[in-house]
Amino acid sequence: MDLLLDFVIVGVSIGIVYGLVALGISLIFSGLDIVHFAHGELYMIGAFLGISVIAFTGVPYFWALIGAMILTGVLGVVVERVFYRRLTRGGGGYTVAGMGMIICGFGMSVALQNVAYLLWGAAPHPYPVSFGMPIFLGNIALPKNYFYILICALILMTVLHTFLTRTKLGLAVRAVAYNKDTSYLMGVNVPVMISLIFGVACAMAAAAGVLIGPINYVQIEMGYLMLLKAFAAAVVGGFGSLPGALLGGIVVGLFETLCAGYLIASYKDIYAFLLLIVVLMVRPTGLFGILVKVKA
Amino acid sequence: MLSIRGVATGYGKVQILRGIDMSVSEGQIVALLGGNGTGKSTLLKAISGLLPVWDGTIEFEGEPIQNRQPNEIVKRGLTQVTQGKDMYPAMTVEENLKIGAYTRSDRAGVAADMDKVFDYFPVLGERRRQLAATLSGGEVQMLVIGRGLMARPKLIMLDEPSSALAPRIVLDIFSIVNRISRNEGITILLVEQNVRMALLLAEYGYVIRDGVVHIEGESNDLITDDNVRLAYLGGTVTDAGAELAH
Repeated sequence: MDLLLDFVIVGVSIGIVYGLVALGISLIFSGLDIVHFAHGELYMIGAFLGISVIAFTGVPYFWALIGAMILTGVLGVVVERVFYRRLTRGGGGYTVAGMGMIICGFGMSVALQNVAYLLWGAAPHPYPVSFGMPIFLGNIALPKNYFYILICALILMTVLHTFLTRTKLGLAVRAVAYNKDTSYLMGVNVPVMISLIFGVACAMAAAAGVLIGPINYVQIEMGYLMLLKAFAAAVVGGFGSLPGALLGGIVVGLFETLCAGYLIASYKDIYAFLLLIVVLMVRPTGLFGILVKVKA
Repeated sequence: MLSIRGVATGYGKVQILRGIDMSVSEGQIVALLGGNGTGKSTLLKAISGLLPVWDGTIEFEGEPIQNRQPNEIVKRGLTQVTQGKDMYPAMTVEENLKIGAYTRSDRAGVAADMDKVFDYFPVLGERRRQLAATLSGGEVQMLVIGRGLMARPKLIMLDEPSSALAPRIVLDIFSIVNRISRNEGITILLVEQNVRMALLLAEYGYVIRDGVVHIEGESNDLITDDNVRLAYLGGTVTDAGAELAH
């Protein structure tokens, strides 16, 4: 029983991290009409920026999380403004820009990885933070990191949800995500909103990076696997849906951890994609049947 | 109030409008008529800034507004009400109306205007917490008109409020539009395919065809104009008048 509880707590907290990255991918998909293939790199850079913030300022972990989110958000806005904006515009407004945007995303992923290599090197970095003694649940010792992930992710979700549903700016973000021309006619400054959406999505990825940093080492190639897991989460939850992305992340994280725990642990990464394939075969619109707009 | 001189535009390399001249004076209801694919909606997009203007000028209250960002144009008091399908289905009726008032920051005024919209369209008031996706076609049309009013515009451009609606509902909507124009002093540019109804409501009309203004004149003259009658009315106007009075 103790073991199951342990797996569930670990699975849900890892899953929430997948969910945070998937949330960004879904946000960008609905807001900009593109699938962002460099999102894993923003997650990786966010984790490194968290380390750098701690190294340079010595602030506590939580403020490093906030700092990394802000810095990565700004980086995301710059990337979107300088590189993606031309392509999304060239695709006839913000319609599906097709191959160009997909290839640009992959290119950006390689470029960002190399920038990170120049800045932080190829060696894995441990996170300069200690959470103290693990918590004992019966016979199981569970590091406090997992609880920290759960609490921080919960706070972030609540803030994002409140922002989207309760504020005027959030209303405008939802409007732009649904229809850009109509939102323009409501007086919403659409280009600014698109930058905001991209920035928020990148900040979420950075949060995921900083949260998972103390569990795994941080290294420049960590974005690739996270991107695939986040895609799996987004698809399982229903692509483009924000609550779906989060729930999908939790499902993927739980499934993966339970399978690794009770079946063969070294196949851990296979289980997520197995789930992805099954969901695509049985329910291509996602497990939760959340209605999402259909893209052209 | 709105004056358009020699406006030419199109999509990509395809030219749609070839020099449109028209003007709308304050307090008027002006009808913009024409068949499918003649460029009516294209002109509205050019006026609201969604399409770049290739040539010519658009002046609103004496200031040029061509090729400005759409959100700037809305702030000046020129609002376009698109066809009914352009509401936000995943938002509630109330949220749809709130986003219409996005450019305003006077909370009390916005709340008062929302009540006013519910006065004009009581059915929206009953459904204020419902998702817009659950509304009927007529209700959605009312919602987008109400959403346009929330910006407190000086001039409102209505894009085919009658499209795909039952005649009974069209009649309702047109009479409310008429009341709004009188009560609120809002100038209206009405784009319609339903020529007969539009001319009964409007004081002046423009008929566009092949990207230019083909015929223009007072509504009364247009209704009796043989060309208009032959091309667009296909019958007499008297029965439509009787219908409206009824």
